[in-house]
Amino acid sequence: MRPPPALPRLRAMGHDTTLTADSTPRLSGDLAVWFFILAELLAFGVFFAAYAFARMRHRELFDAGQALLDRNTGALNTILLLSGSALVVRAVQGNQRGEGRRSARWMLGAMACGLLFVGLKASEYAAAFAAGISLSSSLFHMFYLSLTFFHFMHVILGLVVLAVLWQGLRQDRYRQDANPLESGAAYWHMVDLVWLILFPLVYVIH
Amino acid sequence: MQYKSQAVAKPYFVAAIGLFVGQIVFGLIMGLQYVVGDFLFPALPFNVARMVHTNLLIVWLLFGFMGAAYYMVPEESETELYSPKLALAMFWVFLVAGALTIVGYLFVPYATLAQMTGNDILATMGREFLEQPLLTKIGIVVVALVFLFNISMTMLKGRKTAISMVLLLGLWGLAIFFLFSFYNPHNLVKDKYYWWWVVHLWVEGVWELILGALLAFVLIKVTGVDREVIEKWLYVIITLTLVTGIIGTGHHYYWIGAPEYWQWWGSVFSALEPIPFFAMTIFAFNMVNRRRREHPNKAATLWALGTGVMAFLGAGVWGFLHTLAPVNYYTHGSQITAAHGHMAFYGAYVMVVLTLISYAMPILRGRAANSPKAQVLEMWSFWLMTIAMVFITLFLTAAGILQVWLQRISDTPLGFMATQDQVSLFYWMREAAGVMFMIGLVVYIVSFFVKGDKVAEA
Amino acid sequence: MSSTEHAHGTPLRTLCLWSALVGATLATLFLGERGGSLMAVALLLIAILKGSVVALEFMALRHAGMLWCGLVIGWLLLVCSLIAFAYWKGA
Repeated sequence: MRPPPALPRLRAMGHDTTLTADSTPRLSGDLAVWFFILAELLAFGVFFAAYAFARMRHRELFDAGQALLDRNTGALNTILLLSGSALVVRAVQGNQRGEGRRSARWMLGAMACGLLFVGLKASEYAAAFAAGISLSSSLFHMFYLSLTFFHFMHVILGLVVLAVLWQGLRQDRYRQDANPLESGAAYWHMVDLVWLILFPLVYVIH
Repeated sequence: MQYKSQAVAKPYFVAAIGLFVGQIVFGLIMGLQYVVGDFLFPALPFNVARMVHTNLLIVWLLFGFMGAAYYMVPEESETELYSPKLALAMFWVFLVAGALTIVGYLFVPYATLAQMTGNDILATMGREFLEQPLLTKIGIVVVALVFLFNISMTMLKGRKTAISMVLLLGLWGLAIFFLFSFYNPHNLVKDKYYWWWVVHLWVEGVWELILGALLAFVLIKVTGVDREVIEKWLYVIITLTLVTGIIGTGHHYYWIGAPEYWQWWGSVFSALEPIPFFAMTIFAFNMVNRRRREHPNKAATLWALGTGVMAFLGAGVWGFLHTLAPVNYYTHGSQITAAHGHMAFYGAYVMVVLTLISYAMPILRGRAANSPKAQVLEMWSFWLMTIAMVFITLFLTAAGILQVWLQRISDTPLGFMATQDQVSLFYWMREAAGVMFMIGLVVYIVSFFVKGDKVAEA
Repeated sequence: MSSTEHAHGTPLRTLCLWSALVGATLATLFLGERGGSLMAVALLLIAILKGSVVALEFMALRHAGMLWCGLVIGWLLLVCSLIAFAYWKGA
């Protein structure tokens, strides 16, 4: 089957979805990735609201469970994620100035922050499991484990993304087209963004 | 047709449409039995009609998926099918096995059928949607494995595209999760738990991958939009599908004896299941708006857009209606479930198979698209069937709401059968909408036989 | 490509924002010793501020137009208000 010739007017419209229009507003990263980020935010949002409303009806239970958590580790994890995000921004800035290869080290720094987060969280889980805590222990522990683990999986996925970007930067692949770099960076920031609510919600506010 | 071996898709499509007619006939019979309880009794009891209705649906969709894969994979892989002969042989094996099973359901008492087919050796029968005798189940596995072998070998020797990889992932998942139909533990909780691994992980998991891949394939063909753009959306859609769909299995675990946390996990994640369907709708319309060519097959484009919208409404919105645990506590197993089931199956799977048939059949018959006259008729059938399905869904939803109220919420609750009497008006209206659906299906079939000027050479 | 050039700010700007975010995290940690509905609202406000910095600056949404700013900041506000509502009612 042979396709009929394309219409010129429509060809002009058939550009990519990445919103690289000449007008000033510009989304940093791919539209499809941003759609995905919005879906993720919605998922976390629903989970956060569910936590808050479940707590409304079981205040003592939630406060007692929360008191057993180590707030300092939570804060340290927050700082690690924030630092990771800032380092990713530095890598993006470096790439924009045409120093892709040199800015790979910023990406490596961001990955180190992510890995430390994973290590701290893993030790937190190890302690919790050693204490016999499971999803069925209490409503609070169900939420604590579910929310943090769902986030934990996102950190791991984010680390995979960062590793790919690090490799790409080392080969200076984003000089012409920063779209993959910016898309991956936006995803990593999203992982940070949800933790900024998760931390006070689960660890601090009582 | 770019590759000769794509022609094996044709008998699969013909069989699919034939069995589709059978499914609707039994649907109409059952619809009448809802209100005229002894209609065709004792020759055809309600439970048998229901089993035939649902089993035919699954079998004809499988025929449709296999035909679609046989059509699509050679074109995507840019090579002939590994073995067209094997594909045709499996077609006859599957058709004969399917026909014998239906004949068995209709003319042999179910218990006798179980005895005849070795259910004593390995008990797998008697569970909703998985009623097939052991021999049929083994037949399905054999056909599926040979089919997957054929498709996988074709892909291995040719070009590997994201779309065909997603399709293959979906098809392998379909085969693998079907294996849980052989696991039938005595513990009722476990029984139900793993039963959903077939039923839910099919329709809210791997089948959605097949749906996404088929839709993406047709959209590339009819819009001419860059493959890169389409694949990007496909990746986003399947990731969202898998995350929400797999954990969303929990929305079936609320009341079967599984741990309580499933009420939370199931509610949260299944509430997000509409998102991938929404993405699919946006995707379909976006791609058609950005089209770089005017494909002569307007009917196929209409089916593709319809799939996006109806899948979102039926699977997404109607699923969301009763997926939250506190709501489902009241609506579980009511006519609201039936409403959701009808529109979701039609909107997602029936329509995507018809989309592919609509696109591929003219090419298989030697032309790029059917004559305008035939296409107009096909579009009529689209609207007749789709609007009929909207009405079926609305009437069943009304019946369901009334049922939940009278039977479960009211201060003076009625019994099940007394409630059924109260909602019979809606069942009559549903039956009328069902007749309209049947008319649409007849128009659809007639559209294949309408001659006219050829639009373009194939 | 001038808008791309400055979308992610300068390294100095990033350093300042990072310091502010770390400071806010420490503030959350120390303020959080105390409980109560008012403190809950205060901590949520800090979270909104921190989230806005990440969204507008790090994700460069301040250059992405009203729609995207609105979607992400709106999400932040909506989620935090729902939490605040639940904590207020539950107090």
